[in-house]
Amino acid sequence: MTVAAPPAPRSAALPWTARRATERLLLVAAGILGGLGMAAVHLALYPAESWDPVIAGGIAMAGFLVVHAALVVVDNLGDEVLLPVAAALSAVGLVMIYRLRPDYAVRQAAWISLGLTSLLIALGTLADLRWVRRYRYLCASVGLVLLVLTVLVGVERNGARQWLVIGSFTLEPGEIVKLLLVAFFAGVLVETRPLLTLPGPRRWRSEAGRLGPLLLVCVGALLLLVFQHDLGLAMLYYGMFLAMLYIAIGRLDHVVAGLLAFAAGASLCYHWFAHVRVRVDVWLNPWADAAGRGYQILQGLFALASGGLTGAGLGAGHPELIPASYTDMIFPAIGEELGAIGTFMVTALYLLFLGRAFRAAMEADGPLAMLVGAGLAAALGIQTFVILGGSTRLIPLTGIPAPFLTYGGSAAVSNFIAVALMLAISDRGRRAAAEGPDGSTHS
Amino acid sequence: MARRTRNVGRVLAAAFAALLAYLAVVQVIWGPQLAASPENPRLALAAERINWGRILDRRLAVLADSTGTGSSQVRRYPEGPVFAHVLGYRSRRYGLTGIERRYDLALLGLPVTDPWEALQEAMGRTPEGNDVVLTVDSAVQQAAVQALGGRRGAVVVLDPRTGAVLAMVSRPNYDPATVDAEWASLSRDAQAPLFDRATQGQYPPGSSFKTVTLTAALGSGRVGLADAVNCPVAIDVGGVAIHNFEHEQFGQISVLQAFVASCNTAFVQIGQRTGAAAVLAAARAFGLGQAVPFDLPTSAGYLPPLRDLGRRGLAQISFGQGSLLVTPLQMALVAAAVGNAGIMMRPFLVSQIRAPDGRILQTVAQRGSRVVMSAPLAARVTRAMIEVVRSGTGTAAQVPGVTVAGKTGTAENPHGTTHAWFIAFAPAQGPTVALAVIVENGGVGGQVAAPVARQVLAAALAAQAAAGGRP
Repeated sequence: MTVAAPPAPRSAALPWTARRATERLLLVAAGILGGLGMAAVHLALYPAESWDPVIAGGIAMAGFLVVHAALVVVDNLGDEVLLPVAAALSAVGLVMIYRLRPDYAVRQAAWISLGLTSLLIALGTLADLRWVRRYRYLCASVGLVLLVLTVLVGVERNGARQWLVIGSFTLEPGEIVKLLLVAFFAGVLVETRPLLTLPGPRRWRSEAGRLGPLLLVCVGALLLLVFQHDLGLAMLYYGMFLAMLYIAIGRLDHVVAGLLAFAAGASLCYHWFAHVRVRVDVWLNPWADAAGRGYQILQGLFALASGGLTGAGLGAGHPELIPASYTDMIFPAIGEELGAIGTFMVTALYLLFLGRAFRAAMEADGPLAMLVGAGLAAALGIQTFVILGGSTRLIPLTGIPAPFLTYGGSAAVSNFIAVALMLAISDRGRRAAAEGPDGSTHS
Repeated sequence: MARRTRNVGRVLAAAFAALLAYLAVVQVIWGPQLAASPENPRLALAAERINWGRILDRRLAVLADSTGTGSSQVRRYPEGPVFAHVLGYRSRRYGLTGIERRYDLALLGLPVTDPWEALQEAMGRTPEGNDVVLTVDSAVQQAAVQALGGRRGAVVVLDPRTGAVLAMVSRPNYDPATVDAEWASLSRDAQAPLFDRATQGQYPPGSSFKTVTLTAALGSGRVGLADAVNCPVAIDVGGVAIHNFEHEQFGQISVLQAFVASCNTAFVQIGQRTGAAAVLAAARAFGLGQAVPFDLPTSAGYLPPLRDLGRRGLAQISFGQGSLLVTPLQMALVAAAVGNAGIMMRPFLVSQIRAPDGRILQTVAQRGSRVVMSAPLAARVTRAMIEVVRSGTGTAAQVPGVTVAGKTGTAENPHGTTHAWFIAFAPAQGPTVALAVIVENGGVGGQVAAPVARQVLAAALAAQAAAGGRP
C-alpha cells in the first residue's frame, strides 16, 4: 500500500490553529457525510418521527472534533488521517444502522461517544507503552479469564456464545480481549526477540521453550473460542499471533508451520464440529438449502447483486431482508443501497486506515511500539477482511464486528482505544525521528 | 522489523484487492443475473407494486383482470371455472399456475431477458403490466365445457393450420378466483380438480391409436387400404387370445373396412404385416412419448421401446392398448397433423402481448412445424377417417353440411369402465378445426365422445365463420 509521506514534524511553537489542519478539514468532511446521510434516511423513511437520532448522530460526530481539539491541545504530532477515516466509517455505519434499525441509532451514537471517551482516556493513560512490558501476563490472564467467563456464563446470540451480561448491559469480551492479546504478544515477543534472532544454529525445541507462554495462551484462547462457537474471533486471534510472531522474529518457517497448523486444525474442526461443517458447506453451496441455512448468505448475495453499480439508494432497497443486517451483514446492506460504489468506498476507507496504521507502526520509536502498532493494525485488518469477505461469501461467514461500522459498544470502545494507541505511537515515533538518534534536534 | 511490518501490510492489502475484484464481479458482472434468481424475495416484493396485466381471449374478451392497485390487487376471472386450467391461478399463498405463471413476467410488464433491471426502471412510475392475448375462443371453450357436462375428461381444440389452441378444457375444474378459500377441499378432492387432464393426463389411447397404426401400415408400403384382412372374433398371439370389442366379427374385409369398423383382430394382423419398428417410428413421428413443447407444462405419455415390444406387445399397441399412454393434447395433434397434409404445427396458447395502451408488443402467428408424413399418405388416412364418421363407429360426430374426419377409441384401463375417445378434424378437405375428446370411464367412444366432438366442432366452425374465416 502506498501512503503519502508524513508531514515534517513541527515544533510545539506552532500556533494552535495551524496544528492538525488536515485532520480538521477531513473531520468536517466526514461530519458532512454523516449529517447528510442521517438527514437523507430521516426524510426518506421517517419524516414524521422525532429528529432525535439525527441529533444524536450529530453529537457523536461533534465528539470527533472534541478529540481533535484534545490532540491539538496536547500537540500530538501523530497521523492526521486515522481519526477522520474512523469518523467516516463510523458515520457510514451509523447511517446504515439508522436506516435498518432506527430504534438502535441513538444507542449507536452513544456507543460512538463512549468509544471517543475511551480514546481520550487511553490517550492520557496508555500512551507510554511501558505498561505493556510490565503487565503482559496480567493482560493475558485477564483476557483468558474473560474468555472462560464467556464460555461459562456467556449468552448465546446468533449461534455463538460471545456475550457477557452485566446488569442491563451486554459486553462482547472478544473485542477487549483482542487488545489485551496484542499487548501480551508484544510484551512477550519484545523480550524473547533478541534471544531468537541471535545468529547460530536454530533449534526448534529451545525456540518452543522460549515461545512457550505465547503458544500456551494462544492455544488456550483458540480452544475456548472453538468451544464457544466463535470461529471469527479464533481466526482473528490466530492471524494476529502469526503476524506479530513474523514481525518480531522474522522467520518464515514459523509462518509456514503456523499456516499448516491452521489447516490441520481447520480440517479437524470440520470433522469434529457440526457447526463448523455447516458454515463451510453453506459457504460452498448456499443454494443447497436456500430457504434454511443458506438463507442469510444468499440474502447477502442478492443484496449485493440487487445493488449493482450505483445501488438502490438509501431507503429504496430491501436490506432488511438480510438476517443480522445491522451487525454481521452490514456490508452487503451497504452494497444494496449504495451499490458497488458504496462497497468500494468503504473498502477504500479501510485500506487507507490500514495503510496509515501500518505506516505509524513502521515509524514507531522502538521495537515495543512497533510491535504494538503493527499488532493493532494487523488485528483490525484481519478482522475487517474476515467479516467483509465472510458477509460477501468470498470466505466462509463467521460473525465478528466490522470495525467502526457495525452496531455495538464493546467494539466501539476497543477500536477507538486502538486508534488512541496508534496516534500515540505515531506521535512518539515522529518526535523521536525529529530529535534524531543522538538526541539533537534537526528540522 | 519495519520491513516485515510492511510485508504484513502488503499481504493484507492483497487480500483487500481480492475483495474489491470479487465485489466488482458479484455486484456488477453477475449482478443482474443473480438478482433475477427466483429465490430473491426482492423480485416478488417489487412485483407487488405493479398492476397486473389482463388475460384476453382471441376476440379480446376479458378472461382475467384485477381490481385495486399494487399489493391490494384482487384478481378476477369473469368466466369463472370455464378457463381454469388454461389461466391457472394467482395465489399469494399457493403461488401461480397456468398462463398466470408462464406469462407472469409479461403480465408484470417485465422483459424476460432482464426482469431485474426492468423492475428498477419501473420503480419511478406507477407500473402497469402488459395484457396477454390468448388464441382461445370463449365461444368454443364454453361449448366444450357444456358438451362435457359434469363428466370427467378433457377436450383440446386446435387450428391445424397454425397450431393455435382454440379451446382446452379439463373437467372437473375449479374457480381460479376462490383457490385460496377452497384450497383444502380442492387439494384433497379424489377427482383432482386442480390437475390439468388436457395437457398432463396420461391415458391409453385405445382404438384412436389405429390412426397411427394405419399411417405406419400405409406408409410402409406393405399394406394398402384395399388389401384383404380377416376379422375373426378372436385371434391367438403367442398363446393369448385377443378379442374384438363386444365379440364382433366381420370375416374377410378390406383394411379400410377394418379401420371404419375398428376391428381389433384385423389391426393385430395389420400391425404384424407393418412391423413393430415401423409402428413405433410412426408414433414417434406424431410426437407420442415426448412432452409437447407448449405454453403450459405437458406430460410425455409413454411409448414402449422396441426391445421391450414382443409379439404380444406389438399386437396390443396396434389397437392402442398395452403399455401405451398418451395425453389429449398429443391426440389432438395427431388429428391435426393428418388433416394438415401431414404437417404438425407446434401448438401455442398466446398470440399477442399488448401494452396497457393497446400497442402490440409481440405477436405469435405460429411456432414452427414438423413433417409427420407425406401429403398423399395423409390424404389416404383422411379418406379412412372420413369413412369412420360417414358410415362407421363415429357417425355420432356428423355435423350437417360439413365433412368430418375422425376416429373413435374405447380404451380399456385399470380403473373400471372404458375411457371414451374421439379425435377428429373438419372440414375434412382443408380442415380449420382439429380436436381430441376423452371422457374418463365414459364408455364407448362412438357413443359418448363422438357426440361431444360434434357439438364442439359445430361451435368452432360457427365461431370461425362468424369471424370471417380468419385463422
